[in-house]
Amino acid sequence: MRKGLIQATDSFERIVHWCLAVSCLILCFSGLGIMFHSLNFLGEPFGGLKSLKYIHNFTALFFILSLFFSVRMWWKEAGIFVFPEDLDWIKSAGGYLWHVDKVPEVGKYNPGQKMFFLVVALGGAAMVLSGLIMLFPLSIPAALVRLMYLIHAAGFVAIFAFFFIHLYLGTVGSPGSLPAMTTGWVTRAWLKKQHPKWLKEMEEHGTLVVYGEEKSSSHGH
Amino acid sequence: MKTEFVKLIDVTLCTACRGCQVACKQWNEMPGLRTKQQGSYQNPPDLQWNTWTLIRFQEYAPKDGEFKWLFRKDGCMHCTDAACVKVCPSGALYHTEYGTVGINQAKCIGCKYCISACPFDVPRYNPETDKVYKCDLCYTRLQGDQQPACVKSCPTGALTIGLKDVMIKKAYARVKELGGDANVYGDKFVDGTHVIYVLGEKPEVYEHLPKSPSVPVTTMLWKDILKPLSLLSAGGVIAGSFLHYIIHGPKLPDEEQGQEPKGGE
Repeated sequence: MRKGLIQATDSFERIVHWCLAVSCLILCFSGLGIMFHSLNFLGEPFGGLKSLKYIHNFTALFFILSLFFSVRMWWKEAGIFVFPEDLDWIKSAGGYLWHVDKVPEVGKYNPGQKMFFLVVALGGAAMVLSGLIMLFPLSIPAALVRLMYLIHAAGFVAIFAFFFIHLYLGTVGSPGSLPAMTTGWVTRAWLKKQHPKWLKEMEEHGTLVVYGEEKSSSHGH
Repeated sequence: MKTEFVKLIDVTLCTACRGCQVACKQWNEMPGLRTKQQGSYQNPPDLQWNTWTLIRFQEYAPKDGEFKWLFRKDGCMHCTDAACVKVCPSGALYHTEYGTVGINQAKCIGCKYCISACPFDVPRYNPETDKVYKCDLCYTRLQGDQQPACVKSCPTGALTIGLKDVMIKKAYARVKELGGDANVYGDKFVDGTHVIYVLGEKPEVYEHLPKSPSVPVTTMLWKDILKPLSLLSAGGVIAGSFLHYIIHGPKLPDEEQGQEPKGGE
């Protein structure tokens, strides 16, 4: 670790994030193997499509747990929009789509991240609900079950596309972001660019954790 | 399709001997399971994983007519646009060269998608084997130039099988002969079924027979729209991200007089 780095995420946050990411990816790829005949071979390493189905179903339990902790952990910070500052950010698209002289300052999560979080939270819940019903189709009216397949597929359309946006913005699209997910320590410059208001808040509240410096006051997550 | 076969069920000729029901069980080596007397001749009460065809006994008393028995041999209709084949993820359900819908149990993963999709409520699930079962119109017999077991056993000529065009013509000729409410059922639904009925009464009179079956709209949206859309949108996002990177560029932290090196991953 280099001196002067700032802690953006704690270990619990990162573990939950990784659990959610890994389970979501396993679900996506096992789901793809089940959805497309041409991708049925994805089941081969595990002994066939039926095993892939079981992997999908059991990974879902892991996903449910991760989703629960994610929502509980991030709801207050990422689930609620603050007006008017969030609206200003949306109007300028956060400076991502066209050049903006001064991007409105945002806190720990910008409205884009909040929208992403809400899609994951609500979409994830819809996937869990429809998926659970799909496991027991014989005890539920067929018309309702068919609707669940539709919801599950629609959820996949959204989540699979969002995954690539998330991957891009978390890596090459916004250099310096990835450490927030890996080590948890980011540079001051990155924090100042991405979440200036959060940086100020942490400085004011004395919750800023800088590597190699004594913490001014202890304040847990 | 090289040779499309159609099985014609003329319910007006059926005497409910259930020869077909027994022959089907025998040829397909399906066990009989103990059932309960339910106050009806019909037994078992519904299609089962081990019962792929079934004679339905219906007591029919029209308002201004005489009581009569309606017998109908129920089972897979072998749709051309088969919802079960559309939803089957593993390819266990497939179209044969005869236009019928075959099933390869070795490939079945027990997801039960087909059960919810079928507009005729035909496929049945066996929890012991975790697989789905249904009539395959005696595919192996067709391959050996044999009639399906049910057709072979039928003593009254209510069941016949032949080339599609011939059988449809035959069905319409029979309906003309019968007159009244008699009608041909099947050739107009789901791009034509490969089992068609000559019904003595209007379709809505028969129990468990959908009036106008079709592939469910939700199934079509799922398989024809959302499924390709999932790859299209992901591809669009990847392309869009690349364009964003080369046109607009990444969002870099501002440099602060050499204090911080450029933010890298």
